[in-house]
Parts: sequence; C-alpha cells; structure tokens
Amino acid sequence: MADPARIKPEAKPERTASANEEHPKSGGTEDVPATAKPTDDNKESSSQDESKQEVKSEMAAGEDEDEGTSGETSAKRLKVEPEKKKEKRQKVDEDEIQKMQVLVSSFSEEQLNRYEMYRRAAFPKAAIKRLIQSITGSSVSQNVVIAMSGISKVFAGEIVEEALDVCEKWGDTPPLQPKHMREAVRRLKSRDQIPNTKYKQILFN
Amino acid sequence: MADEEDETGFDEELDDGSGGVDVGHGKRKRLFSKELRCMMYGFGDDQNPYTESVDILEDLVIEFITEMTHKAMSIGRQGRVQVEDIVFLIRKDPRKFARVKDLLTMNEELKRARKAFDEANYGS
Repeated sequence: MADPARIKPEAKPERTASANEEHPKSGGTEDVPATAKPTDDNKESSSQDESKQEVKSEMAAGEDEDEGTSGETSAKRLKVEPEKKKEKRQKVDEDEIQKMQVLVSSFSEEQLNRYEMYRRAAFPKAAIKRLIQSITGSSVSQNVVIAMSGISKVFAGEIVEEALDVCEKWGDTPPLQPKHMREAVRRLKSRDQIPNTKYKQILFN
Repeated sequence: MADEEDETGFDEELDDGSGGVDVGHGKRKRLFSKELRCMMYGFGDDQNPYTESVDILEDLVIEFITEMTHKAMSIGRQGRVQVEDIVFLIRKDPRKFARVKDLLTMNEELKRARKAFDEANYGS
C-alpha cells in the first residue's frame, strides 16, 4: 500500500511538466513542491516516465474510468492521477462557468436574444440523417448525425463571422449580402478551411 | 419575374428558391431555411438576413456535409461513415475538433444519466 503522504510529491512534478500547457492557472500551488524537491525526481525519473506513459495512455483511452484495479503503488498512482487531473479540469470548468454567468447576466436584451439564438439554433437531425444516408446509401449511427450537425453549425459560424469581417472591411452594414458571403468563402478557401475534392491540383508533371 | 431572371443570371445557383419551376442543379427544396436564419442571427447577422445569403449558406453547408461524407466513406471502413472517421478528418481544425469531442462526451453523459434515472424508476 502506498503512503498517501509520499504520493503527492511524486505525482506533482510529472503533472506540472505534462499538464502545464493545459492548465497554467491551477499550477500555482503545485509548482512550489516541484522546485523544492529536485533530488527526489532524479532518482525516480525513469520509473515516473514509465508511469507517465501509462497514465497518458490510460487517460487517452478512458478518461472517465476512475476505478483502480489493485492496491499496488503504480495502480494507485494511476488512480490518483486521473482523479487529480479531473479535479483540476473541473475547477477550470467551474471558473469558466462562473465567468460565463457573470457575462450573461450583464447582457442587454438584444444581446440576450442573440445569445439565445446562438445557443438554440441547430440543424434538424432528421434532415441531416436523410442527407447523409442519401449519399452513403446505407444507414448511419446516431453519433454520426450528432457529430455532423455539430460540425456543420461551426462551419456555418465560421463563414458568417468571416463574412461579417468582410462586410465591415468594405464599409457596408449588415444584413450580409451574397457578395460578402462569396468573398468570405474565397478567403476561407485560400486558408484551406473549406474542403474541396473536386479539382485535384497536379503540382509536378 | 424579371427580378428572378436577373437573380438567376447573376448568381451561380440556378434555382430561385421560391418553389415553382426550377432550372439547374439546385432542384432540392430548401432544407434548412428556418434554422439557418436563426443561426445567422445568432452568429452576428441582422435579425432578418437576406434570403439570397441564406440560400448561399445552405448550399455551402450541404456541400460541406457532402464532402465530409465522401471523405469519411473513403477512409477507415470503406463505404460506411463512422464517428472515428469524422473525428480523424477534423483533427487539424481545433474548433471543430473540440466541438465534436464536447458533443460526444455530453451525449454519453446524458445517456448514462437517463439510464440511471430509468433504473431508479424501475427499481422503485
């Protein structure tokens, strides 16, 4: 059985190294023990690397599986690690949720309307399913429909945002006109954000 | 009528979107007109966007879905569209990738919550 007092200093340095990019905010309290105990790290760095690989693959495979399998040290470390990372992630989510609440509470009525439309508007799943099935000729699962309608909404949003940029740049006002939309499409195409498999460019002939 | 002819010649899409006799490849009736209007307003356009803009956007979205479906059919398991193929195709685009991950995670959570709720009801 691992000593809980011993687990924390081991776990923290590798997490601050690997998770620093993801959660820069919450690394404040945990940086101190990492810098205070460098000698411990050198001894255990090789074993930690292995467990780090295991942790990463485990977290990639099933992030919501918290149950450890046995009482060994490495398994317990694996059990503690995803929980702590989940706590950090939940804390970051809570911060973001709080900020969003503060923001939305200060919206004007017009902004509230627009935000409500932004969140609520969605493509009808039945029509998307029909469209995909007419292309594939076979049935598709529900997750595919969910994913495809989500991506399509993001895609539509990208075009509208780009078109609004174009509109503002040309000194026009909304509502958007077809010329803005077409210029937006042209710009997004040059950035390769619009998939196009119709014309294959032959570079070297 | 003259307006519609002008519009047909000016735009690349040959259908006029108002039903009736359509010429050209856009024979489909408009699938997403209502939803796209709400969506454009949500993304920053005017509360009443132009119908032509909505049409252009619908054609773009349908073309996007078609392209993605064809690409997904050609990778992974041929002839079928699976979620993993879509996630693979989207991997380079951070926004869409994050959105798909969120949607699928939330869907799993909802399914689990519903199942737990149903079991609780069944038990009692």
